[in-house]
Amino acid sequence: MHYANSYLERPVVGDPHVDSDVGRLEVLNCMLNTGSDIYQGACKKRGSTLKEEYKNASGTCYMDPRDMAKLGVKNWDHVLVKTDYGEVVVSAARSRDAPHEGTVFICKGPWANTITSHETYCCSDPTYKGIHATVEKTDREVLLMADLMRWVYKKYVDEEDDDVVENMESLGERPFYNGRKWEELENHEL
Amino acid sequence: MSYEPPVTDYDYIVENCTCAFCGCNCDDLDFLVKDNHVVAVRHACRLGASKVMEDLDQRLMVPMVRNEEGVLTETDWDTALDTAAEYIANSIRPVFYGWSETSTECMKEGLELGEYIGAVLDNQATICHGPSLQAMQNAGYPIQTLGEVKNRADVVVYSGSNAMNSHPRHLARWAVYPRGYFRQRGRFDRTVVTMDPKFSDTAKCSDMWIGFEQNGDYGFYNAIRAVIKGKKLQSESVSGIPAEDIYELVDVMKNAEFGVLFFGLGLTHTLGKQRNIDIAIKMVQDLNAMSKWGLTPMRGHFNVNGFNIFMAFETGWAFGVDFCRGWGRYMLGETNTIDLLVRKEPDCFMVVAADPGAHFPNGANQHLADIPVIQVDIHWGPSTELADVVLPGSFISVECAGTSYRMDGVPIYMKKAIDKPETCRDDEWIIRELKERVMKLREETNVAEKYVPNPIMDLKRLEKEE
Ligand code: SF4
Repeated sequence: MHYANSYLERPVVGDPHVDSDVGRLEVLNCMLNTGSDIYQGACKKRGSTLKEEYKNASGTCYMDPRDMAKLGVKNWDHVLVKTDYGEVVVSAARSRDAPHEGTVFICKGPWANTITSHETYCCSDPTYKGIHATVEKTDREVLLMADLMRWVYKKYVDEEDDDVVENMESLGERPFYNGRKWEELENHEL
Repeated sequence: MSYEPPVTDYDYIVENCTCAFCGCNCDDLDFLVKDNHVVAVRHACRLGASKVMEDLDQRLMVPMVRNEEGVLTETDWDTALDTAAEYIANSIRPVFYGWSETSTECMKEGLELGEYIGAVLDNQATICHGPSLQAMQNAGYPIQTLGEVKNRADVVVYSGSNAMNSHPRHLARWAVYPRGYFRQRGRFDRTVVTMDPKFSDTAKCSDMWIGFEQNGDYGFYNAIRAVIKGKKLQSESVSGIPAEDIYELVDVMKNAEFGVLFFGLGLTHTLGKQRNIDIAIKMVQDLNAMSKWGLTPMRGHFNVNGFNIFMAFETGWAFGVDFCRGWGRYMLGETNTIDLLVRKEPDCFMVVAADPGAHFPNGANQHLADIPVIQVDIHWGPSTELADVVLPGSFISVECAGTSYRMDGVPIYMKKAIDKPETCRDDEWIIRELKERVMKLREETNVAEKYVPNPIMDLKRLEKEE
């Protein structure tokens, strides 16, 4: 069956090309904003949250090209973002809204949640924007959604030790209910 | 992006469907249906189309319950509903969160269950436009409908909202491009101003971009209010915006024939929170002394406003209503989901058509790992990874009809286009079924006490009979 296609493997981003200052900084101090953008929204609401596509749409840190040059990162390199509330590995990409030197943007989603502030200051709404953060280059992998949820919340694993959880087999990009796929459920008797 | 041929292989078209994504509730979509699946959508934006043509790989099809090893296992509806009802009936501080992506009819059942069991009912407003609702209580709500904007507005201001990304057809269908009765030339008759620290996609198609600095919203609006009232600014720039630019902007705003302020999460998520909106509303009130202005919050989900309107109508409060004492209570910072979770209060959490896994900060979600979580949703998402019972609902506006409220408070009936998968149930049915099972478990019947119109007369009658 031919479906109109709304899939996109990863958001379209421009080239950072800035030559000065390359690799001058180890750690970038910056302001973190989170929010939605069209790629993240489309992918989330379609329901493709387990897929690589969601990882690329939501687990991406959009940076000013000059900030990227300072850290010496290219599009889709991995960076470690730390705040007072946690840390997470995401990909780096040139922001479509640049210039905004000193500010990075991560779309809302499990990756951003790991590092946003839960402080509501008594008015119901957590502080999702304007959080101090540091960004540095890393070799660690960006986790898929299911693996990230397992690594952060550890709800159904006994292991207290991060290493054990990290070395577990990936949960993959498909729903995991007794290994059954949607197609097999057509004549499901209930 | 590559060229895509149009979809020609379809059985029939269902016209005038409603999009169930953002608060614009576009009700002019055409679904192209083949073999009971929507294969293409006409008129919708990227967001709407992608939601309607959902990812069937991840569609939740059968009810599931976690086994002892922590693996979701398929089960039948009876077992799943009984397990969920047991969790709810045995809890002392349940929270029912979500509701924004389901119909108002379903909320009705949810409210009944919540009142009965003494739960907290809250929706996504708590993490997006909650501060706006508080500000409306503080300062008022000078609203207009989107139709008025289309026909009348000549100055449109987007503040802290990137409509091109989160409400893509808002500009095209209502606020900027369409030709209206008094705006015959469409875009050329309107001035568009975007206030956002970033040069966002909306800013790129506006006439003016005001890039105030991060967390500078409050100061900036105060400066505008001062200038509107004819004061001179003391400093050369406010929140990173030069004074001349503020004078120029105020000039545009004052001379508008009909101005509208659309504000988004950029204002509610920064440090000023509801105070940012307070001051924005007051600015609109000030402007009304010399022109006609209105405002509308850019609501994110198609029925997030519906829950607020529904709850305000039924209980008096728009969101975060706590029934644990047997009557409704609303206390900011106390009866809201995030605060409750951070304080580790709830002992049972039901998610109806929402995704806390994807949208709550870590500090709140951590508690979900310690308590039973019941999920009623259509897709396997981040919340499913935390859920103990999964109840597959149906897709409002595609597989099931229902009422929703647009961002400006206009109710829209969303019709059904295709049949739902056989093994799924309507959200409304699921919640009603849960309600009945919980009531049975608590061993109280689902009927009100016998109605006695006049007890004294009744007593006398009884005496006489004796
Ligand atoms: S603007 Fe909103 S309601 Fe309209 S088609 Fe796009 S997502 Fe749907």
